[in-house]
Amino acid sequence: MQKKRAYSFPDEVLEHVFSFIQSGKDRNAVSMVCKSWYEIERWCRRKVFIGNCYAVSPKMVIKRFPEVRSIELKGKPHFADFNLVPDGWGGYVLPWIVEMAGAYPWLEEIRLKRMVVTDESLELIAKSFKNFKVLVLFSCEGFSTDGLAAIAAGCKNLRELDLRESEVDDLSGHWLTHFPETCTSLVSLNISCLGSDEVSFSALERLVGRCPNLRSLRLNRAVSLDKIANILCLAPQLVDFGTGNYTTELQPDVLSNLTAAFSSCKELKSLSGFWDVVPAYLPALYPVCSRLTSLNLSYATIHSPEIIKLVSHCPSLQRLLVLDYIEDSGLEALASSCKDLQELRVFPSDPFGVEPNVSLTEKGLVSVSLGCPKLQSVLYFCRQMTNAALVTIAQNCPNFTRFRLCIIEPKTADYLTREPLDVGFGAIVEHCKDLRRLSLSGLLTDRVFEYIGTYAKKLEMLSVAFAGDSDLGLHHVLSGCESLRKLEIRDCPFGDKAILANAAKLETMRSLWMSSCTVSFGACKLLGQKMHRLNVEVIDETEPPCSRPESCPVDKLYVYRSISGPRSDMPPFVWTMDEEGTILH
Amino acid sequence: MPNMEFQLGLALPTPSIIKGFDLNNLGLDHPKDMGGLEARNKPARCFSDKSKRSFEQAFGNFEAECKTKTLLLLWSGQPNEEEDHNDQKKRTFSTIDDRNDAEEVDQVVGWPPIKTWRKKIFQQQQQQHRVGRIGNNRVADKENGSRSIYVKVKMEGVAITRKVDIRLYRSYQTLTNSLITLFAKYKKCADDDYTRYILTYQDKEGDWLIAGDIPWQSFIRSVQRLKIVRNWG
Repeated sequence: MQKKRAYSFPDEVLEHVFSFIQSGKDRNAVSMVCKSWYEIERWCRRKVFIGNCYAVSPKMVIKRFPEVRSIELKGKPHFADFNLVPDGWGGYVLPWIVEMAGAYPWLEEIRLKRMVVTDESLELIAKSFKNFKVLVLFSCEGFSTDGLAAIAAGCKNLRELDLRESEVDDLSGHWLTHFPETCTSLVSLNISCLGSDEVSFSALERLVGRCPNLRSLRLNRAVSLDKIANILCLAPQLVDFGTGNYTTELQPDVLSNLTAAFSSCKELKSLSGFWDVVPAYLPALYPVCSRLTSLNLSYATIHSPEIIKLVSHCPSLQRLLVLDYIEDSGLEALASSCKDLQELRVFPSDPFGVEPNVSLTEKGLVSVSLGCPKLQSVLYFCRQMTNAALVTIAQNCPNFTRFRLCIIEPKTADYLTREPLDVGFGAIVEHCKDLRRLSLSGLLTDRVFEYIGTYAKKLEMLSVAFAGDSDLGLHHVLSGCESLRKLEIRDCPFGDKAILANAAKLETMRSLWMSSCTVSFGACKLLGQKMHRLNVEVIDETEPPCSRPESCPVDKLYVYRSISGPRSDMPPFVWTMDEEGTILH
Repeated sequence: MPNMEFQLGLALPTPSIIKGFDLNNLGLDHPKDMGGLEARNKPARCFSDKSKRSFEQAFGNFEAECKTKTLLLLWSGQPNEEEDHNDQKKRTFSTIDDRNDAEEVDQVVGWPPIKTWRKKIFQQQQQQHRVGRIGNNRVADKENGSRSIYVKVKMEGVAITRKVDIRLYRSYQTLTNSLITLFAKYKKCADDDYTRYILTYQDKEGDWLIAGDIPWQSFIRSVQRLKIVRNWG
């Protein structure tokens, strides 16, 4: 029965208007205006983003949004990247694929992050979605090149296949030959994570040669330098290119061929790869350097002089990933050459060494903050820091959106004053009003959390390790950070009080991770019992938490909001605390 | 309403170990049940004592093996660069203990926060230049001839130890050119313009020799580490 509406727009008009609204957040807002808008919106939503695959079930998503074409799912918590989440914890995509195979025959795009993807899942994708176009597997695992062969063979209109940072069981390089000769639709291919030494190079060349729209190609380490010139000549329209290993026997022609090949790439803006770099071949890049906006040298073990030479040819650089071989001197050169720099990531070349092996200190970061006014995003590994430097950096860069500092030795104080780094990080949150992501390190007391709770109103993600003195620290964050979505903590003296006092806050966040802290099993049970829309998972690989007194701290705790209740695929070392106070397993 | 129990000042109904949480008491309660926290919060790694092998001992060894042909690195006058760190002076005449190289540093799980695949790449590179006294670990060299060979390079008086990939060089000349560039900024102003330095290397048997004597190909198969020392002679 047709409901009488307060206005007389036909649904089609509203649908047309809604089609201009792409962002999920805006779509969510639209759907809450009134019931009829909710109905119209849900039928025309094409793209769904699910930040935690256990927050909702596939059936629920399908029921609400019946016409989805593109889905993005994230599985394991971020600390899984650092081996803190045991293998087998979860994050399986198969149940989603199974449901979507029936409900979304016209699904075009699947993007997954930190999920377990099996060959069976890939085969099901290849079979079920006739118009499948985009597969992005970011930091995923559980599949082999057999699954990739199924995708290559089955997806006739494949545009994107991106395996960035995934762990693939590399059985054979011949999966590439499964792309039919009729496949000419590829726009993006990222196989940089593959280990095999036998990537079928001739198949790759033929594939690249017949895909005129190929814009992004990232090769794996096995592809040697002498092969690159050929590839580039087949695809001069590339915008983003990842080399294989950048080394070969020193021969007279290689450099000139390579230089010519790079010269022919007039659209090239982004470079990566560079395993095993022979510095003598870097000048081959000079023809493209002036246009480069993104450069990833983070596998390249070249030293500061060579890095400086390269970087000083790149005035348009916006994004640089590099090892700490760049040193303070290199960062100074970067600051004077690359005025458009927006993102900088400096990784440690010797993270487990006791002594510093390079001359990279807080001074390098200060130079960049001074010389690069557009700097927004920083990831910096170093061995020493001062409050003064952090204050200077904060004042120079009030536009920071992401600031992640990792001082390699836990609890390192300001090396000049011997004080904690509370004031320095305090300056960061105070000056950088748009800060969305922050990672702390060094010696820190509860005071830094007071600053964070007071100033970091737009902060969405906070990572904390070896910091704080008491529950008060955690309480400051949970009660003060209004925009907080993800909080991950390890090895901090935070316990029951702050969590229980801020339990309601946890429902406004995506997730909370705490490992090696002092949250008791009893508190976990209580939280699970009282908060019905939170899944409280206790993870312990050594022994069941109930075999110890309730006051004993749990090893790992992962709390996330969910409307689908406790999950049914938990491994033996995960317990969830449910409403009746029983412990599900 | 269950949620009410978690707001300020209210005690929890169940007779659990968890005390009622009153904001006024924050920080004053002594966390009794945090026994064991201290041990847990400390990083598990241990700092082994660096038993410093004296430079004189190494120098003495090397002098005994001294060959007649020497490779001199002549440093032209360079502007003095200040020391990066006051602590460097303490480490001036030490060499890195072999034990530190060979033993696995006790590591905290997941720290520093580097992604697993990045660690793998790093570990591969480390394997290639990890040196032990006996049976040095150059497996990677045999497996694939074009893989890197990393050796540590230390310059007398400089705290920072470098690593270079010898495979990148074709001759002693190209190696020393690169080393000069790398270490140029550490030249002390106390040295006069003609201070001479000698490039020495430790071979497979553990002996310190002057570089330049044997053919380059033999050298790169034999070298374990490099040291640049002042020529007092």
